[in-house]
Amino acid sequence: MFFLDRKSRIFVALIFLSFIILAVQLLRLQIVQREKYIEHSEKNRVRRVRLLPPRGIIYDRSGRVLVDNHPVYALSAIPYQCRNDDKILQFLSTVLHEPPSAIKQRFRTAENPFSPFKLCRNIDYSTLVLVEEHRMDLPGVEYEIEARRVYPSGIKAPHVFGYLGEITKEELKKRQPEGLMQGDLVGKKGLERMYDRDLRGSTGYDYVEVDAYGRKIKDLIAEGEKPPIRGRDFYLTMDATLQVQAESLFVDKRGGVVMLDVRDGGVLVLCSKPDFDPELFTTTLSAEAWQNLVNDPAKPLYDRMIQSLYPPGSTFKMIVAAAALETQDYDPNTTAICNGAAIFGGRVFNCWYGEGHGSLNLYDAFRVSCNVYFYHLSLGVRVNDWAECSRRFGFGSPTGIDLPGEEKGIVPDSVYLDHMFGRNGWNNGMMLNLGIGQGDLLVTPIQMAQFAMILANRGVYFPPHLVSKIHDPKQQRFFRQDIIRRAVSGISQQTFDTILDGMYRCVNEAGGTGARCRLHDVVVVGKTGTAQNPHGEDHAWFIGFAPYEEPEVAICVLVENGGGGGATAAPIAATMLRQYFSDAIKSDSIVKQAQAITP
Amino acid sequence: MLREINKVQVDWVILGCILLFSLYSLMAVYSATYSADLPQVQQNFNKQVVWIILGLVVFFVLSYIPLNVIFTLTYFAYGIMIFLILILDIFGPAGGGARRWFELGGLKFQPSEFMKPILVLALARYLTPEQHTPNKIRHLAVAFMLVLLPFVLVLKQPDLGTSLVYMAALIPVLYWRNLSAFIIFVICSPAISFIASFNYYTFFAVIAIITVVLHLAKRGKLVGWTIFTVNIMVGLLAPVVWNRLHAYQQQRIFTFLGLVSDPQGVGYQIIQSIVAIGSGGFWGKGLLQGTQTQLRFLPAQHTDFIFSVLAEEWGFFGSMLILATFLIFLTRGIRIASYVDYRFASLTVIGLVTIIAFQCIINLGMTMGVMPVTGVPLPFISYGGSAMLTNMFMAGVISRAAKERYL
Repeated sequence: MFFLDRKSRIFVALIFLSFIILAVQLLRLQIVQREKYIEHSEKNRVRRVRLLPPRGIIYDRSGRVLVDNHPVYALSAIPYQCRNDDKILQFLSTVLHEPPSAIKQRFRTAENPFSPFKLCRNIDYSTLVLVEEHRMDLPGVEYEIEARRVYPSGIKAPHVFGYLGEITKEELKKRQPEGLMQGDLVGKKGLERMYDRDLRGSTGYDYVEVDAYGRKIKDLIAEGEKPPIRGRDFYLTMDATLQVQAESLFVDKRGGVVMLDVRDGGVLVLCSKPDFDPELFTTTLSAEAWQNLVNDPAKPLYDRMIQSLYPPGSTFKMIVAAAALETQDYDPNTTAICNGAAIFGGRVFNCWYGEGHGSLNLYDAFRVSCNVYFYHLSLGVRVNDWAECSRRFGFGSPTGIDLPGEEKGIVPDSVYLDHMFGRNGWNNGMMLNLGIGQGDLLVTPIQMAQFAMILANRGVYFPPHLVSKIHDPKQQRFFRQDIIRRAVSGISQQTFDTILDGMYRCVNEAGGTGARCRLHDVVVVGKTGTAQNPHGEDHAWFIGFAPYEEPEVAICVLVENGGGGGATAAPIAATMLRQYFSDAIKSDSIVKQAQAITP
Repeated sequence: MLREINKVQVDWVILGCILLFSLYSLMAVYSATYSADLPQVQQNFNKQVVWIILGLVVFFVLSYIPLNVIFTLTYFAYGIMIFLILILDIFGPAGGGARRWFELGGLKFQPSEFMKPILVLALARYLTPEQHTPNKIRHLAVAFMLVLLPFVLVLKQPDLGTSLVYMAALIPVLYWRNLSAFIIFVICSPAISFIASFNYYTFFAVIAIITVVLHLAKRGKLVGWTIFTVNIMVGLLAPVVWNRLHAYQQQRIFTFLGLVSDPQGVGYQIIQSIVAIGSGGFWGKGLLQGTQTQLRFLPAQHTDFIFSVLAEEWGFFGSMLILATFLIFLTRGIRIASYVDYRFASLTVIGLVTIIAFQCIINLGMTMGVMPVTGVPLPFISYGGSAMLTNMFMAGVISRAAKERYL
């Protein structure tokens, strides 16, 4: 006998007995009752259904809905069940207007052949009816309700809000742990991308029993079930009325407007034109349409206010003035004579006004934006002092606005110039161009708006931001975004006095280049700019703020190739400011101040 | 004779079995994680490959370590494991829930799993000296304490499955060390009374049988009355203990006993598992073709319910192969235990075989719906690093013991 002793026989016997019981049970399940369980598993369509929460709603500063959700139907199919069924493929082909082979090919790209694969978003009603009618012949084909973004206020501002698009393979790799799946929509640009996690909410799961045709029979209660939690709602600092106004002013122009509340850095208007329809991306965008957008010479995909770099022109003269006042003890009453041009180092540098401004001091030079005066002034300023002064005013680094993809611009200093022209390839004569905001200097409009805010607050500023508060539906409470307060160092109040006086004259005194921004009841101060550039006609700039005594709002207007800043940009700024100071906004700002006083 | 020991140190049958187990494990884990939602789960196949390779290294290393070395280290290892489990018990999460692991750089280390073989080794070592016979109450008590200590600590985690595995090794090892049948009866009777006490009639029947046995055993009035009283007390205290069980544990016992029909809750798991097994038929649906598996109807399909994956995709044929492999492994273990002269080796092997057999039967029974759901993995096959290393360690010790017959 193999096992000699009694003890081991008992062990072997017990183990054999147990295994025989297991084997009999297997025999019963897999052989005797096989048919029953196969049928059971065929019918077994208990499915874990993902419940996508509604995306957070975006409101403007006074609670007007800017971005909302609208239900649409999406058609999807389970590849495992459909890819080899010619009848189903034929049906999908007629509905989707695609050859069956193409659909089969698309099924092959499915990450998981056992979960629904989205074939078409936003199907029309007749397609829906057709699917519903043929339900019995189409196991595995289903439609689901999806949310699509809509813009009830009429502001689509794709550069601010961004848009939703299908998640890419690379994004999926990174974000799968969050529960995202192939076919999910994620924020691709702007706020939708910046705050995607907050806006998205958290995915819920439900276990439902569905029949062979994919119809839900009943809800099951199982482990791992959880309700979806809707996304957080965002309240922006943006003002819908002003934004609409700005967009209407730029219908036929390229450029944009930035308006900031100088008391907290809130962005009232952020308009970049031309733009595009964000809804193009909600449905499947054809390659052709995408190519058109990318290759459009008007570059609608760029957010000009934060991503495009421009020479600032005369709007930058305040910087060289500040540098001269701070580092050279420059007397603003120093006069110079403008004959319409000046010769430096054997080269002729023109003033914009060919007939010449005659004799003027710094204040008048601001008023009439005399280039020759600033040539003289710039020559006394070292490049690095000027660059340092520019950086203090926020140039050369991003403002930190809560939007993705912000550019930081270029502020040339000796290191930069050495790199570009060689150690001996340049001299301080560079300042002639840099001082009047030309040369290699490049800025973004949002930086210019921030600059205007700094001037309005005489050195104090708040980095521009779009989100004022966020509502969390789970905790039922608001979260206010922290407002960061910063101050420009090393610029004295006298310097601000001088510069602001110059800017006041620019708008409010006879012959000022910014006269077309004058309002009859509010004192506006500002500076125009007409920037030469290699792309044709000059860019028109205007930056400023109002009211002069108690500033509330800073503005920056840019019209690409718009010509003179005083002629093109200033009137736009005037319209925007007039709108701002109309009653609606004023009362809002008064309420806001009252809130600010109570701690 | 010494030369003989140094030649080949593995038991070929045991090695053959664990290689087959590794193959089953890889196939099952691959299939079970193929269509997983989470990337962490998708990576489990690669991890399992690493664990199996490490496990085989452990197996071969142990084959070259004389059991005497292990003998001397046994109590030390036991102490360390108790210490680690204590740390987990004390510093576990404050907000409830089980904490069974240490996390070291992303690797989970489960001391209660490693405790399984070490407990058996400690028990075997204690019972090795001739005078330490379990028929003396003092030695029996020590043997009990050795098992009860980790049992209570792990039960507290709470991990009912693992703590039951500890208990499973006790009686068989004592029996192997010639514990008398009467004492086994005395030990087992309270457990039977406990289970029977949920119904008045069964409880009276059990008490009656105990009374008759005690009368026939003729061990004296004091012993008889003590045992009788203990059984009555257990019966009375059972409801109190029951109320201290976690709700999910009660639920599982109810469901198992068929007292509650609950197709969506715990029973749902068992039903899905049975459907997976049954729909496999004779030849199975084929690798990656199991709808239950790939549609993720199976709960814990790469850990506790891994057998359902194999049974669905490889059918009755594959299931039988797995059962047969286990049977060969276990009977080989018993045979090694019976012919090895060295008592420590013999006791260790029988203890390890019992632990593996217990887990195997409990797990398979659970997936087929003939045992309650207790969270016991299938040895050598379920996904899990600590368990794989532990199982390979056990196999290594058994294989080594087979070669120590000449000592």
